[in-house]
Amino acid sequence: MTMIARRSVLAGALLGSAAMFATGLVLSDSVAAGLQPGASAPDFTAIDSNGRTVSLAGLKGKTVVLEWTNHECPFVRKHYSSDNMQALQKKWTGQGVVWLSVISSAPGEQGSVTPAQANQLTAERGAAPTAVLMDPKGQIGRAYGAQVTPHMYIIRPDGQLAYMGGIDDKPSARTADIATAKNFVDAALTELAAGKAVSATSARPYGCTVKYADPTG
Amino acid sequence: MPVLYRAVLLAMLLLGIPAVPAIAQTAGALSGPDTRELVQADLIAEPAAVTPGQPFWVGVRLRMKEHWHTYWRNPGDSGLASAVDWRLPEGFAAGPIVWPAPQRLPVAHLVNFGYEGETLLLTEIVPPAAAISATSVSIGGTLSFLVCETICIPGEAELALTLPVAPPGQAAAEPASQATFAVARAALPQPAPWPVTVEAGKEVVMLQVAAAGLRADAIRTAFFFPHAETLIDHAAPQALTVDGNGLTLRMTPSRYGDGKPAATGGVLAVEEDIGGRIVRHAFAVAGDGAAAAGAVPAAAQALASASTPAPVPAPVPAGGLAAILQAMLFAFLGGIVLNLMPCVFPVLSIKVLALVAHSGESRARIRLHGLSYTAGVLAMFLLLAGILLAVRAAGAQVGWGYQLQSPVVIALLVFLLFAMGLNLSGVYSFGGGLSGIGGGLAQRGGLAGSFFTGSLATVVATPCTAPFMGAAVGFALTQPAATGLVVFASLGFGLAAPFLLLTLVPGLAARLPRPGGWMEVLRQLLAFPLYATVVWLVWVLSQQTGPDGLLAALGGLVLVALAAWALGLAQQHGGRPGPRRWAQGTALAALAGLAGLAMLLAQAAPRSAGPATAAAPAAAAAGAAIAYSPARLDALLAEGRPVFVNMTAAWCITCLVNERTALSADSVQAALAAGNIAYVKGDWTNRDPAITALLERHGRSGVPLYLFYAGGGAAPVVLPQILTPAIVLEHIGRATAALSRQSASIPTPAGSVRP
Repeated sequence: MTMIARRSVLAGALLGSAAMFATGLVLSDSVAAGLQPGASAPDFTAIDSNGRTVSLAGLKGKTVVLEWTNHECPFVRKHYSSDNMQALQKKWTGQGVVWLSVISSAPGEQGSVTPAQANQLTAERGAAPTAVLMDPKGQIGRAYGAQVTPHMYIIRPDGQLAYMGGIDDKPSARTADIATAKNFVDAALTELAAGKAVSATSARPYGCTVKYADPTG
Repeated sequence: MPVLYRAVLLAMLLLGIPAVPAIAQTAGALSGPDTRELVQADLIAEPAAVTPGQPFWVGVRLRMKEHWHTYWRNPGDSGLASAVDWRLPEGFAAGPIVWPAPQRLPVAHLVNFGYEGETLLLTEIVPPAAAISATSVSIGGTLSFLVCETICIPGEAELALTLPVAPPGQAAAEPASQATFAVARAALPQPAPWPVTVEAGKEVVMLQVAAAGLRADAIRTAFFFPHAETLIDHAAPQALTVDGNGLTLRMTPSRYGDGKPAATGGVLAVEEDIGGRIVRHAFAVAGDGAAAAGAVPAAAQALASASTPAPVPAPVPAGGLAAILQAMLFAFLGGIVLNLMPCVFPVLSIKVLALVAHSGESRARIRLHGLSYTAGVLAMFLLLAGILLAVRAAGAQVGWGYQLQSPVVIALLVFLLFAMGLNLSGVYSFGGGLSGIGGGLAQRGGLAGSFFTGSLATVVATPCTAPFMGAAVGFALTQPAATGLVVFASLGFGLAAPFLLLTLVPGLAARLPRPGGWMEVLRQLLAFPLYATVVWLVWVLSQQTGPDGLLAALGGLVLVALAAWALGLAQQHGGRPGPRRWAQGTALAALAGLAGLAMLLAQAAPRSAGPATAAAPAAAAAGAAIAYSPARLDALLAEGRPVFVNMTAAWCITCLVNERTALSADSVQAALAAGNIAYVKGDWTNRDPAITALLERHGRSGVPLYLFYAGGGAAPVVLPQILTPAIVLEHIGRATAALSRQSASIPTPAGSVRP
């Protein structure tokens, strides 16, 4: 009796999820799944919102922050409307850290912007990244395995990945949670600046899914 | 087995035991509409009214717009689990959300876990035990959720409903709401019918299901949804293999973590091809308790274990030869102990009595009796074990003692034991037409009778899960069938050993007293342990079926007595065919009536866990038992409250003795009250898959099982199967002390790694 009820309830979900499962298997091969803290960060070359070419190799000797962003994502809005992200950018770029905001949304998807719109957003929000990288094909995002916005990475001056994961330990879209959250990025950058080892090298990323382009289409 | 303990066990047979409380289910619904476009959220309740002291279920119903989804407790690669911030009247408490099995929701190359369409998030509400002065109560809360298609929108919804307060026992059922909740419960992950382990390694996270009976060709897909966000890479393929030992999933470990080992619990979804139709099963995977309590760093755990004697370890089912030999030894010892159990002792006594009667016979003949008896024991053990293993292989939730979960089997045992008692009392004697069955009790002949006595001893022994037996039987059930049967055979051999020894060693049999007039008196005396066993089993039956079943069983006893009397009459009038026919006819008619009664019992639906009304007033008293449900235990543990769990059954004599002599002792009750320890009791008298699953998690296949959770997320301590007040107090004290030491040594920021 119970078994029959369960069958009928779940019957609808079956066909869809089986098909999706197969799709997931094929696509996940293209992700750099092995990237771990301590590994060397994958090199990349990208064009920023001002048309300049930025390459990671050219930033050797500096601490680099990568911030995946999508201005329409509620989790990104949480950290921008509260001025949390801008304050962090100002604090650390002021101390010589290179802060790169990365937009991996495919054209037509949420968060996809033209270089001019990107600059306008930076101005409107009072943001202070070193540069905004345009990654419409999602190449950098896939190389780093970025899953969500905001997804944060910190690269040491010697090119090693020092931190990857969520910005803090309160996975929510509520601005009020920022006050009580432990900010992993700020903590790691503080430790790096003091020449210490990073204590929390990864944490669960949270946010909206990065709106990647379909690699087959 | 100390003599004193045996005396207590025998005394137990004659004592009344209090009934086990449980919950009645009623239904009803009130809902507040919500106009959100993407998610409609409302709150519904299962009962039509609130009864003081009686926990009940409410559900947050989420209806998502087409293609939109909300999230499971672990949302996967992105997203956010729905959460409810409850607003309850004073004295009310809400349990955690009990999540339906999630779906896999891929987005590009990433994967989320959640729900599309409609889902119901169940939560248990516990009202205060004391009378509620208001005529109605308002249950409310704020639901926060994230709803996504490709883009995500966070939202909040206000939930509210008002329920009238009913006097105890007066809440009416509401079929419409009951059906909704029944459907929701069917969508919950079910307890896995096999042992499931998850091992988190550096290179691979491996989930193994020990299900030898699984058909490799029928399993289409299997997917593990972990509770922890940082156990596995959610989007990576999970490599499935199905072989003779069961099912294995190899998963890629998560790249994220915070230094703590992630808990390994979750939900295993398996798609099975049943005759061309794909059916999805979702099973709850408990995971390992140590990792779940991962807030305690390894160093602190080492400190705790170094400074306290090791707690009684749960038997570990390891497949090596040494483990098998050890299980066989324990099974053998357990079998010997079984001879002293009150359910076996009378049967064995009768057999010894028969041996005394045989003492004039040849040595060879006596040896044959011993061997026949042994064969009878072994045959019945292997038969029962074979059935058990076959039923389990078919996927049913059964454990040792399952025979006694059927009222019909109990009734037949009652009739059989009563008939044997009447025989010993001299109402009739075996012989003539019935020699095939009763030969073992007769003075002469009957190697078949010895075989039968052995089988009978086995059947009545099963409820007495003796100390060494629990672990051995638990081990046997996790092994391949052949190994399992060897362990069961060892158990049977242990049961048969004392009698076999008596017949094989020449000196021993010769030392038995000479037959004489005293034998008749002893025989009549031995009827009384049998009558006592009958009383006990009738009481068990009344627990299972209620007053109607009791009536049928007692009526059956009258018919057994009638048949026995008529049979005795026929035997007295042996020579004269008229009266003899009449008496035999009466006996046959009585037996036919008995068969009818048994069928009646078979149709009587077993009662769910017990009477409800008794629970409400009792719950207020300190130390009163809380009826077990997985959700309720989780809720208590989530509160961080220490919990003592007692898994029992009316037919488990060891359990009842422990409750009487240890758990009800004033010192134990005082310790439970002083430590604010919740006393949770599960009743396995009737089948209950949730309890079977809990037993198996701790390597047991039968009751009793005693667990103590010290609180604060600590893994439970398993207590021995035979309790004294001192043993209980010692375990509670030790676990509590270990916990306070651990708490004190946790370094401040959880998860930080020292440079």
